[in-house]
Amino acid sequence: MAAASVYSSPGFDFSNQIRNNFLAGKGLPLPKATSTGTTIVGCIFEDGVILGADTRATEGPIVADKNCEKIHYLTESIRCCGAGTAADTEFVTNLISSNMEMHALTHGRKPRVVTAMTMLKQYLFQHQGQVGAALVLGGVDATGPNLFTIAPHGSTDKLPYVTMGSGSLAAMAVFESTWQPNMSRADALQLVKDAISAGIFNDLGSGSNVDACIITATHTEMLRNVEMPNERVQKERTYVFPKGTTAWKKEDIKKLVLTEEITPLAVEAMDTT
Amino acid sequence: METSFAITGKDYVIVASDTTAARSIVKMKEDEDKIKAVSPHLLMAYSGEPGDTIQFSEYIERNLRLFHIRNNYSLTPSAAASWIRRSLAQSLRSRKPYSVNLMLGGYDTTSDTPHLFWIDYLGTLAEVPFGAHGYGSYFALSLLDRYHNPEASLEEGLEILKRCIDEVAKRLVVTPGKYKVKVVDKDGSREIEL
Amino acid sequence: MSIMEYNGGSVIAMVGKDCVAIASDLRLGNQALGISSNFQKIFPVTDRIYLGLPGLATDVTTLRERFRFRVNMYTIKEGREIEPETFAHLVSSTLYERRFGPYFIEPVMAGLAKSATGGFKPFIAATDLIGCLNFAKDFVVAGTASSKLYGVAEGLWEPDLEPEQLFETISQTMLNAVDRDAYSGWGVIVHVIEKDKVTTRTLKGRMD
Repeated sequence: MAAASVYSSPGFDFSNQIRNNFLAGKGLPLPKATSTGTTIVGCIFEDGVILGADTRATEGPIVADKNCEKIHYLTESIRCCGAGTAADTEFVTNLISSNMEMHALTHGRKPRVVTAMTMLKQYLFQHQGQVGAALVLGGVDATGPNLFTIAPHGSTDKLPYVTMGSGSLAAMAVFESTWQPNMSRADALQLVKDAISAGIFNDLGSGSNVDACIITATHTEMLRNVEMPNERVQKERTYVFPKGTTAWKKEDIKKLVLTEEITPLAVEAMDTT
Repeated sequence: METSFAITGKDYVIVASDTTAARSIVKMKEDEDKIKAVSPHLLMAYSGEPGDTIQFSEYIERNLRLFHIRNNYSLTPSAAASWIRRSLAQSLRSRKPYSVNLMLGGYDTTSDTPHLFWIDYLGTLAEVPFGAHGYGSYFALSLLDRYHNPEASLEEGLEILKRCIDEVAKRLVVTPGKYKVKVVDKDGSREIEL
Repeated sequence: MSIMEYNGGSVIAMVGKDCVAIASDLRLGNQALGISSNFQKIFPVTDRIYLGLPGLATDVTTLRERFRFRVNMYTIKEGREIEPETFAHLVSSTLYERRFGPYFIEPVMAGLAKSATGGFKPFIAATDLIGCLNFAKDFVVAGTASSKLYGVAEGLWEPDLEPEQLFETISQTMLNAVDRDAYSGWGVIVHVIEKDKVTTRTLKGRMD
């Protein structure tokens, strides 16, 4: 059992592993970590990078979150889209974001995208693909716009347009058909929206809305839900139950605001002897 | 097959367990006491892997005794249950975990209430009005659902227990022969002849 | 049969107008055999935060003890009560720390967060067994009946329900979903958290 301290050594804790293997040996299969089907893309345009993502999170065949955020913050001018095991993408980007801030503080200048890329690939390689994060990393730094993909085992690609996740094939088809070098901001954004939409409508693991993030040398614009092609229509009637529908056996009300009544006693004259 | 029952009633808990010690398909012994009085107002019926049960119940008994010696009072049943559960959960994370299931019946002398806890080798803890372990539980729990009365006197409680034992004797293929029955109440624990 | 279904049990949390509700079933089973019909899976963390822990029963108790300890340490060190969002991150990192040897629990949280103006803002969240947070604006579910709860809640939930309406909605969602799950049921408990009181009700449910 963990030591009786709030502090524990950094890194993963394996104290449950013996037990979990024991349970697995008893014929109770271990549940798989929730993995998310996703469409994430990135593309370089004339003055920066655009990242795009869908907003569906799945647990097997169930849609767990209809509007989640898959474009993670690394620094002000570097962002990262995550696909794969949801918890891993969340924690790996958080960790690297924190390390990038420390890096910026120690060196006193804006960190580069390759720095983030190197940190991410080294972390993922160290864990031999066990940390299941597939990432699209993009940003603008002193060297100009940069765009990478990082696979769970730590291999990276540097390309002008990239896609990842279960919807990557659908999205890549769109990129291959219409991408051109030095696109305008508006054209590039439209292309990213189209690529994500292709994932949303053709891949079951992707769905709901389009998120995009436009990064230029001077400004980063996070476009949350730029496109909402699957908005739910107004319900045709309400399903509010009349009070008293549910039968209950026991009720306990815990008051959080304490009221006390003060009954003043007869005022006694001050003792001045 | 190993079977243990426990029932709460008005200010008492009855704990019963069969007395067979078996190894594979062979009965080694027919008068094994598998209910330990682990502290003055606490009874623990244990079943599971033969070596583990003895080792674990003695470990519990001695640690509760040590607590009593050091602090001059015993743990309440719920405090003891919590600690025993934690010991099992801890053991489950070790290389050779204890494979022990428990029914823990006790009388809380601070609040004058009987308590019964169902604990399994995984460290699952549940406070229950009645409970059972082993194959007998499939028969006993349905009977107790129908006939259990938290306000029953000791005589009535023993009557319900007898029904459970009879049902298991009648319907279970490999029936345990004899049972040991113990009761804990405000005066401590004692054995009862059925 | 997976470990997550070994003991059975489900939890749901919903947002209302200036209130939140969290409900769970009361069954503890050993696979198909019912052991207890009064097994609590929802625990108060502070006056205005409640935590539901459906999953493997031994981990329900272990995690409850762990969170109680860590929240107490937080309260002592900070000299104030923990906020729901902070607590959600505490839960998330506690689970992710065990990424490669997880607890078999999918926590659900409901609470009221203090806003800058001194009011209270409804908050709900859930994580998977390795701590991936899901902050939803409507409802979150977990446990063996989760697939059924998603469906019923999707149909019945609507925005800005008053506390009494929210109680009916969450109760009906729970009761009806749990009736279609063999491993959940045997009674339901509901907590409705408002700014000045917490109402806890035990529902009359099917006992099969």
